[in-house]
Amino acid sequence: MAALVLPAGLLVLLLLVAPMAMLFRISLNEYSPTQLMLEALQPGNYLRAIADPYYQAVMGTTMTVAFSCTLLCLIIGFPAAYWLARMDSKRKSLAVILTVFPLLVGNVVRSAGWMALLGRDGAINATLRGLGIISEPLQLLYTQGAVIIGIVAVVAPYMILTLSAVIEGIPRNIEEAAGNLGAPPLTVFRRVVLPLALPGVVAGSVLVFILCMNAYATPVLLGGPQFKMMAPAVYDQFVKGTNWPFGAALAFILLLVTLGLTVLGSALLGRRYKR
Amino acid sequence: MTSRRLLLPTLLAPLAAPHIANAQANEVVVGTWGGDYAALLTSEIENPLLRPQGINPIQELGTPAARKTKLLAERTSRRGSMDVVCLGDSDCHAMGELGLVEELTPANVPNIAHVLPALRSPFTLPHIYSVRVMLYNPATIAPPPTRYADLWDDRFRGRIGFSDLLYQSISEAATIVAGGNESNYTPGRDRLLALKALGARVYSANETLAAALKSGEVSATIMWLARGYMWRKAGINMHTAMPAEGATPYVSAAVVPKNARNKQAAFAYLNAMLDPRAALGFAERMGFLPTTSNATLPAPLLAEIGLTAEQQAKLRRPDFAYTAQHAAEILNFWERAFKA
Repeated sequence: MAALVLPAGLLVLLLLVAPMAMLFRISLNEYSPTQLMLEALQPGNYLRAIADPYYQAVMGTTMTVAFSCTLLCLIIGFPAAYWLARMDSKRKSLAVILTVFPLLVGNVVRSAGWMALLGRDGAINATLRGLGIISEPLQLLYTQGAVIIGIVAVVAPYMILTLSAVIEGIPRNIEEAAGNLGAPPLTVFRRVVLPLALPGVVAGSVLVFILCMNAYATPVLLGGPQFKMMAPAVYDQFVKGTNWPFGAALAFILLLVTLGLTVLGSALLGRRYKR
Repeated sequence: MTSRRLLLPTLLAPLAAPHIANAQANEVVVGTWGGDYAALLTSEIENPLLRPQGINPIQELGTPAARKTKLLAERTSRRGSMDVVCLGDSDCHAMGELGLVEELTPANVPNIAHVLPALRSPFTLPHIYSVRVMLYNPATIAPPPTRYADLWDDRFRGRIGFSDLLYQSISEAATIVAGGNESNYTPGRDRLLALKALGARVYSANETLAAALKSGEVSATIMWLARGYMWRKAGINMHTAMPAEGATPYVSAAVVPKNARNKQAAFAYLNAMLDPRAALGFAERMGFLPTTSNATLPAPLLAEIGLTAEQQAKLRRPDFAYTAQHAAEILNFWERAFKA
């Protein structure tokens, strides 16, 4: 039976583990402004990145955006997922296609749409000015809010589909039994549906959180040049600064922080689920 | 027995095939920018001048940073992936200093003999050039700026914007304003912070800056004269002001890696880049000047994109050795202190 995982295992080994091992080796090298890098085995790049207030702030922004997006996705995704899960099968396939539809549009194209909407001369400012509500355009684009809205629009389908799959497995008659015993709808949700849907909440949140921590195109396009998250900062080091060792160290720090927070979050929610 | 003897060559054939095919097709792989530049390479150089010679150019489009990185990463390979690499002058200089590219002489690229003396460099083929100037909107800026230092006046408060891509150029201009020179950008840091205090904005790309200039969000910037010409053609109300401190040239150039697979075709490609017949297209569409003395442009076009003898004489010289050595430091200050 173990042989069944061999093809997938080899693929992961070849396409993920090997490049990551190379990247890790590069992160221990020394940067050279003229020769790309010099062979070395030193932790300097990691120490510099961890001690640097600039990258601490970039990591802080990244985590704030990722947490906000995950929470927002959960809040707007749960009702949609519940509605999807309880839908009759005839209309469900159409609703699933509509949910997945935003994923068919590339991140860059989608961000261009947001730019047309939120820009200084965009649809929102033009409408507000046309109605005489504002005289000077509002700064909507190139803000943290714009980035959060943009990312939520990308990742919400992942949350909805994951939650919906779990909610579907909760028998409807359990909710009906709770209702018959006198529990109001909010209590049914809080005491019955939510605890039973917790594995879906954990899985959806983990998935969305990882995607948000590593977002690249949306922060660059909707956040503008002054807004920095980790993935664009890693890209800048590789491409603008040609500092591969430091860029590789930043990439591993981002990976470890994402992994650590994901494990921690899953453990905390998992413990609550067991209770 | 026969089939077994055939087995090994049959298996190895696909490995050898690309090289054989390359040699037969006389292909030359050109790493270059996309957009207008790539289109003009095709229409003005490749189709009329190289294909008739039996050379088949293949363009590999990407960013200059990716091409530079590729050159560095492939330096120990016997066979590189590009035959001609188009880069800016400072990157070409850096590649030459590292010994990664071929020396160019009139023996391998005959048209080099016509290159303007001020633009000659042993490893770099200067293809086209423009200069760094100030662009301003005449409807909102009066009197126009005449020197870089004017942009620090309070009348420009909240009206200046820059392209993020030009961080090195803006840092250099700030250094000139501070009384420094191209060999040390440190004196310009205070001036950059003063610009930030004046509400200077940064845009992620030249195109987003153009949109801001068009909408009136920004009234003045530091940019290439050629880009100003293109924007004027696109209907943006922009005038050019040559800085009294002297304009700095930017040369769009090309190099041939030492590990290029088809060097003869690469040299022929570079020679064609300097062909006077190819100059007009790049000047008309992109606003860039030819780097050779035997290329001529129509007088009205030259009046828009060219330099007077006096301006030519005042051209400043960038210090490529300094920028190569301090690139990370310049970027860090821009990212953390100026943009943050």
